[in-house]
Amino acid sequence: MFHVGLVDYHAGNIRSIATAFEYLGAKTQIIRKHENISHLTHLVLPGVGAFNFCFESLKLSGMLPMLEEWTFTMQKPILGICVGMQLLADSSDEMGLHSGLGWIGGQVQKLHSNNPSIRIPHVGWNTVYFEQDFGEHSKNTSRDFYFDHSHAYYLPNQDLVLATAKHGQEFCAAIQRDNIVAVQFHPEKSQASGLKFLQSFLSL
Amino acid sequence: MLKKRLIPKLLIKYQTLAKKRKPILVTTRAFLDEITVGDPVSQAKIYEAQFADELIVLNIEGCPIASDPQSLILDLVERIADEVFMPLTVGGGVRTIEDFQYLLERGADKISINTIMFENTGFISEAAYRYGSQCVVASIDFRTDEFGEAYVVRDRAKTDANVSLIDWVEKVVSSGAGEILLTDVDRDGSGAGINWTICKMIASSVPIPVIISGGCGLAEHFVDGFQKGLAEGVAAGTFFCLRDQNPMQTRAHIHNAGVSIRVET
Repeated sequence: MFHVGLVDYHAGNIRSIATAFEYLGAKTQIIRKHENISHLTHLVLPGVGAFNFCFESLKLSGMLPMLEEWTFTMQKPILGICVGMQLLADSSDEMGLHSGLGWIGGQVQKLHSNNPSIRIPHVGWNTVYFEQDFGEHSKNTSRDFYFDHSHAYYLPNQDLVLATAKHGQEFCAAIQRDNIVAVQFHPEKSQASGLKFLQSFLSL
Repeated sequence: MLKKRLIPKLLIKYQTLAKKRKPILVTTRAFLDEITVGDPVSQAKIYEAQFADELIVLNIEGCPIASDPQSLILDLVERIADEVFMPLTVGGGVRTIEDFQYLLERGADKISINTIMFENTGFISEAAYRYGSQCVVASIDFRTDEFGEAYVVRDRAKTDANVSLIDWVEKVVSSGAGEILLTDVDRDGSGAGINWTICKMIASSVPIPVIISGGCGLAEHFVDGFQKGLAEGVAAGTFFCLRDQNPMQTRAHIHNAGVSIRVET
């Protein structure tokens, strides 16, 4: 039985993520403070909001040591979604330059394009191209996922790029390093494609 | 490639049935002549099955949200979000950061604001600072005068806001809105076609996505909105609620006209 913990630090759409995992047959639990989470099988770090606001809220919540123990000591699966992905970077340039958690390297930078038809924020369904196999998603296939963001993750280490998307320029749509998975899109809002992705995360 | 969006719009009012106040789905013409369609949650489930790209839910009576412990709109957003796995934009009556927080917690992804922007333009940047621009949708209702100039109306089109559409759009974009939802009041519910000229003028002047609504009666009207109007999304209430036409056929028609939209999930 899958038991998914959802990290609630007042910066995310916890409910929709819980609904999607429950639809897939998993049990969910909202985690609001530092506690014993060793009974959980998977953890999700969501994030909606400005980068620094999310980062400060997460620090203030006191849950950071718990997340680090989960990820690096216990090495259990964790999924960052949207700003929950961006927090893993070394830095973000959203509203000033801010440090991130620095878990997998890379920078978060504002999307930009000289083409006026490329509008920012990047909102809507865009093609995600899988560079690696991930559960039910095979390498070199693509699916549409829902995005809603102005800043994107750029990672120099190509080996960790699970999937890419393009909006003016190419950026990381998904990252994987062992037990750490992070996505810029919203799998919980991406209908069949999204459920398939979450199912693949559960099989980690 | 980023796809263009077909966005059903759910207009919500409240009716007392058997002594219980319940949300109902309605359609309007020029924001008046309300016709009751039925249960909003059932309709949302139909749209989910038909692969709509996003839903807009508008609390058109503007009832209080976070300040009302029995808020029906919060309850409704929660029930819709529990049934559909697609993005929800919710608006109508949003006046505070708490309203944003409560709606997002119940399953909304983006929040649309309208009246509050006239009373406190600073609210746009406050919301964008806290939730990011991508979360803040500026909803603007407009009419056109005898010279074809678009001007802004407020309070469900009851009042002239005394500002031109282009000036108002510039103001809300510079304040940090992440998306513009334009509604042509006089075309609302008419099926007479999208106001793609106005949409094009606005979309050409701003760097953020523009959604146009009001007037969709045929699949071709969506194509006009995307191709001539440069809209990222076309929203429609009456078209999706009341027509028997299979929306998958509408989608195929739009796709065949050369618009990049989702054809499979």
